[in-house]
Amino acid sequence: MRRARQGLVALSLALSLALILPRATAAQQAPAAARDTQMVTPEGLRSNASAKATDPALEARTSGVASGLRCPVCQGLSIQDSPSELSQQMRSLVRDQLAAGKTDEEVRAYFISKYGEWILLEPKASGFNTLVYALPILVVVGGLGLILTLVRRWTAVPADGDKT
Amino acid sequence: MIGTLAHGAILVSLAVVAFGMFFIPFAIKRGRRDWVALAYSAVYTNFLLITLATVAMVWALVTHDFSVSYVAQVGSKATPLFYTIISLWGALEGSILFWAWVLAMYAAAVVWINANRPGNLVPYAATALMGISLFFGILLIGPADPFKPVFPVPLDGPGPNPLLQNHILMAVHPPLLYLGYVGMSVPFAFAVGAMLSGEVLTDDWIKITRRWTLSSWGLLSAAIIAGMWWSYEVLGWGGYWAWDPVENASFMPWLTATAFLHSVMVQERRGMLRLWNLNLVVGTFVLTILGTFLTRSGIISSVHAFTTGTIGYYFLAFIAVTLLVALALVAGTSGRLKDENRFDAPASRETVFLLNNLFLTAFMFTVLLGTLFPLVAESVRGIKVSVGEPFFNRMSLPMIVALLFLMGVGPAMPWKRTSMAELKGKLLPPLIGATVMLVIAVAFGARNFYALVTFAFVGFSGASNKFEIWYGIRARHRAHGENYLTALFRLMAGNRRRYGGYVAHLGILTVALGIAASSTFRTETEATLKPGDSMTVSGHTVRLKQVWGREEVQRSVIGATLEIVKNGTVTGTIEPKMNFYPTSQQPVPTPQVKSSIAGDLYANLQAFRPDGSSATIRLIYEPMVPWIWFGGMIVVLGSVLSILPTRSRA
Repeated sequence: MRRARQGLVALSLALSLALILPRATAAQQAPAAARDTQMVTPEGLRSNASAKATDPALEARTSGVASGLRCPVCQGLSIQDSPSELSQQMRSLVRDQLAAGKTDEEVRAYFISKYGEWILLEPKASGFNTLVYALPILVVVGGLGLILTLVRRWTAVPADGDKT
Repeated sequence: MIGTLAHGAILVSLAVVAFGMFFIPFAIKRGRRDWVALAYSAVYTNFLLITLATVAMVWALVTHDFSVSYVAQVGSKATPLFYTIISLWGALEGSILFWAWVLAMYAAAVVWINANRPGNLVPYAATALMGISLFFGILLIGPADPFKPVFPVPLDGPGPNPLLQNHILMAVHPPLLYLGYVGMSVPFAFAVGAMLSGEVLTDDWIKITRRWTLSSWGLLSAAIIAGMWWSYEVLGWGGYWAWDPVENASFMPWLTATAFLHSVMVQERRGMLRLWNLNLVVGTFVLTILGTFLTRSGIISSVHAFTTGTIGYYFLAFIAVTLLVALALVAGTSGRLKDENRFDAPASRETVFLLNNLFLTAFMFTVLLGTLFPLVAESVRGIKVSVGEPFFNRMSLPMIVALLFLMGVGPAMPWKRTSMAELKGKLLPPLIGATVMLVIAVAFGARNFYALVTFAFVGFSGASNKFEIWYGIRARHRAHGENYLTALFRLMAGNRRRYGGYVAHLGILTVALGIAASSTFRTETEATLKPGDSMTVSGHTVRLKQVWGREEVQRSVIGATLEIVKNGTVTGTIEPKMNFYPTSQQPVPTPQVKSSIAGDLYANLQAFRPDGSSATIRLIYEPMVPWIWFGGMIVVLGSVLSILPTRSRA
């Protein structure tokens, strides 16, 4: 009985931790999609079109930034996912800027200056926007607290005792 | 002509519905069951009239009667018959008409099935359904009138939205969605009926409600999966879920309905959570209307958002009225509901259900918040923000993995209390399942934290649910000496609801496995090929054979034929296309998918040279995507099993 209750406390702690963890691991969330582009002509020569894809590290960074930017002509797709022509152009812009030595943050800032905050698919967690991140966590933590209290109260009632 | 007739039918149906809605409470007050029966005929009459209007619309579409406004809007002589018929739900007015028809059908079915049930539950439920019908009838003569006369009559129309006439799944996804979505009106109507009739104090109404919720839930699940499939096959980006507002709109009531299907068991077993369950039923219905408001009013842009107009205000008013009525009823009822409020032990299935409900409703809240936040932020800060896929993935993944874990814990936990010894024995197979899946995932190169947790929990809960079924079979085998197959069938037949639930769990886990594998191990590449050039993605090589063009009746098609090459020999072809419709400036991508049980090879034509000298191809390898569709079918099987009445136990 007591062990079970401790277990429940541990479980809720673990779960609230799990909710906060994604912030910490966000850096590792870069897409796993390896872009192993290899374009070969019949003679076994690299064609010019594959030149853009020679650097896998650059490609990984490009897709990392691109998947956080919204395709302006689509409905909610990132420029990484969208097959539209504009997205392809924006993607090569991201690639060019990264290749020119800009940081991921600088590239994002460039797009914000062009389109406004709207271009980010995920709002920055600062100021008013914090609400959208904080409220769900509050609901879960508050709900876990409520369940803990209720279960404790309900198990304390004797078999045919008072109905609270 | 036919438009006037249909318009008249809708007007008459409005009068009929309004009469029935007010006459039933009056008849109940007077204690006249014969009057109630008379009012029921209003439900049937409404169904007939709306059927007439719907058939008239299909007829107008098929005969290209451009004097009807909706036909002038979505019809075209060049559109193939099949897509002409399904354009019934291809734009706002037609979809509202279809909604009204599905609702009228449900109302007629509810009354037909339960006509002889004593008590006032069904009459009041019929009143509520007619109230909802009245709202949709008002839409059909007001802001969403599909039968407005057009003059002068155009010779031809633009045809349906190209996206909606590009794939056969458009004939499957919307009807399933409406059947599931509108079906959530029935549990709501029963909740209202239970509160008005006082039957809310007994738990009998919940048995009827549960079955209606289950069938709508199964249809909504199928619709959501079919929608994912459509988006995968048509949108050309190789994904199936983008947290688009309309996807969220269909997902939110699914979450609360799922919560209800679990917590209702606590009510039946323990006489608890009555008030909570009422709120879930009301909330599910309100979410269906809110979702329709969000996507149909044009205040949030979406793939599916149709044209704007005044219809948003009607929806807002209806939501306000519904909430006021429902909250007043719930508040009036809450004082009378006396729950037992007693748990035997914290470690019990009851507790798992509470946690399940917490995560499902918190999930719903997160999706709702994310969907509405751009509106809130714009009105507060005056700045547009986007809340898209990265946000939803980040916030929902912890809740999804928690739910996946609970899905394995719940079935292994007995009601009331759990002894440690029993739990230890039951937890062994799930733990082995989790370890095996984890090892496989790591061996295939998964390193992402959530991916690993998801694979482990899918293994955990998969083993747990399978072993629950196995324990049942073994018990029958030992007790009755049945062979294992007979035992399986008799087990399922004997307690359909329980084992149907486990089957549905296994379906959801299969979907989760497909999503986790395809998003973790997806590889893609994009290249511009000349005829004869090849490209390779994770061991799959394709070679461009030719780029070609073709004129079809309603569109022009550009395609690229790619040969799939394995060890120097051609094993097949894959042919992504772009469809150009005269009404749309943007071509509609038409990717092609080659599926196998291991995964999909997905090719999309991104660009091409008009002279056919080169084509840009995006080639994606997505492991295990077909498991998502397969898992959806298992979910449907599970809900069908649960709905069928249980025969007497053998």
